[in-house]
Amino acid sequence: MNQKTRWHDALVLAGVLCAACALVAGTQQLTGRIDGVASMVFVLAVFLISMYTDGYLWGVAASLIGVLAVNFAFRSPYFAFNFTLPENLFSGIVMLVVAIMTSTLTTRIKKQEQLRMESETEKMRATLLRAVSHDLRTPLTSIYGACSTVIENYDNLEKEQKLKLLGEACSDAQWLNRMVENLLSVTRFDGGQVAVQKTPTVLDELIDSVLVRFQKRYPKVHVTTDLPDSFIVIPMDSMLISQVLTNLLENAAVHADGMTTLTLRVFTLGSRAVFEVSDDGCGIPKERLRTLFSGVMPPDAAADSGKHGMGIGLSVCAAIVKAHGGEIQAESKVGEGTTIRFWLETESIETEENEDEQ
Amino acid sequence: MSNNKFKVLVVEDEANICSFIETLLETNGYQALVANTCGMGQTLFTSHNPDLIILDLGLPDRDGLELIRFVRQKFLTPIIVLSARTTEQDKIEALDLGANDYITKPFGTGELLARVRAALRMNRFGVLNGMPGGVFRAQGLEINYERRKVFVDGEEVKLTQTEYNIVAFLSEHAGRVMTYASIVRAIWGDTDCGSTKKLQVNMANIRKKLGSVPGHNTYILNELGVGYRIIDEDTDTKTES
Repeated sequence: MNQKTRWHDALVLAGVLCAACALVAGTQQLTGRIDGVASMVFVLAVFLISMYTDGYLWGVAASLIGVLAVNFAFRSPYFAFNFTLPENLFSGIVMLVVAIMTSTLTTRIKKQEQLRMESETEKMRATLLRAVSHDLRTPLTSIYGACSTVIENYDNLEKEQKLKLLGEACSDAQWLNRMVENLLSVTRFDGGQVAVQKTPTVLDELIDSVLVRFQKRYPKVHVTTDLPDSFIVIPMDSMLISQVLTNLLENAAVHADGMTTLTLRVFTLGSRAVFEVSDDGCGIPKERLRTLFSGVMPPDAAADSGKHGMGIGLSVCAAIVKAHGGEIQAESKVGEGTTIRFWLETESIETEENEDEQ
Repeated sequence: MSNNKFKVLVVEDEANICSFIETLLETNGYQALVANTCGMGQTLFTSHNPDLIILDLGLPDRDGLELIRFVRQKFLTPIIVLSARTTEQDKIEALDLGANDYITKPFGTGELLARVRAALRMNRFGVLNGMPGGVFRAQGLEINYERRKVFVDGEEVKLTQTEYNIVAFLSEHAGRVMTYASIVRAIWGDTDCGSTKKLQVNMANIRKKLGSVPGHNTYILNELGVGYRIIDEDTDTKTES
């Protein structure tokens, strides 16, 4: 990275200086006299270089080279250094000042940009944390309560009562675990900036493991699949994307009241693979739809705590898809159902000869 | 009676996790030995010669991978790795060093017991049978090693040489996760960069021929980013679903 910017800066320096020399030389050919023009052109060159390079060094170097070049080539006596003339000294100082001031300004702007981005990520984290701690406390309360009840009243409780309490603690712990999985995914890419580690993943294998896992958790929910016949490979972090799909399926299973069919559909559109999870459940109200992926809870969400709020699941999905360079959308009509759709870039694959000796 | 019990060495530093695994194993008829450090694990392994090791990778004194290396120098004792790390690379490293299976924390008790049973069974029969020659049966899948043929629900499935070799290789290590690299090495003998894809293409064909659709009839399980595992062989006494 550092090496790269250094090369880039050196190229800018050389390019702009060459252009300046060419310009001055050209004017000299045309008009014959250039004493005034040369300084102006080189001041402009120094300004450009300071603006498009990193730090002070390049600008200062450019101004020094500029002073020497003007002095040497474009000022009488031509092709000889002459440091006695006061205007040469003066133009040198002007160039230096221009270089330093431009560099200072650009550096400051760059720093501000960086700060702004950092504070945005920070804000996102804070919202997420708030949502998370709210969501974590609910199951923890129930686990803590159930366990301490069983310990303190061991002899007084009926066997069924104990089993019921412990069973609840167990399922809440499982829910907690899923939550932590989501959190871990978020920490894997800091602020959506760091690229995810993509490995080519076969679509069928991905869907297979998602469904196997989902059916284990929700054996009663049937998922209809509609997949393309062809062999599709998508570069992705398979753990993250399978988590997106699991989250979407789980949301449907938990929140779509009155759902009769749950469909997972994948199709290709050009070079994109489009994933669709749709249900025909109760749908999502319009006001909620807008903030669905932001991780921000609507004020009345706390009332819904009997059913573990949708929590951070969808905002994690959105972050994961975005980090893969894809997009996620939701479509919903109250009473008719919800479709959540996202796409990823596929890898064009040349179908190799795999039909070897029969 | 107690002499007949399988000895399971649990190497784990977290006291609470130790205690529940120990209870779980003992109520299910295994004898549990507990070590809290890698060093203690080595000592107990040498002195007790356990039938199975359950190993946590994050230990206070040394990396658990070292214990795998230590054991694998001389022994085939099955090792199940417990790992809180969820990245593929750790799993692949442990498996390539010779661990038989891994299970990610947190896990259900049923899941752990199933893995323990599978690992022990494999060790008992896998070696004795001397695989080629026998017949592998798991749910509807049947592999006849002598005739090099594969059947699903009694119907023969036409596989190419390569496809058969892959299925046979996986079934010889049933219940164990085989990494992409280890399968490629066994089938093609080399590991050039395109070979994982070659394997995946073959696997897609195999799955189609076995009549598997995503989520159903899964005889070969995907461990995304790691490798494949064929389902466990049926035992005469009970069939696991």
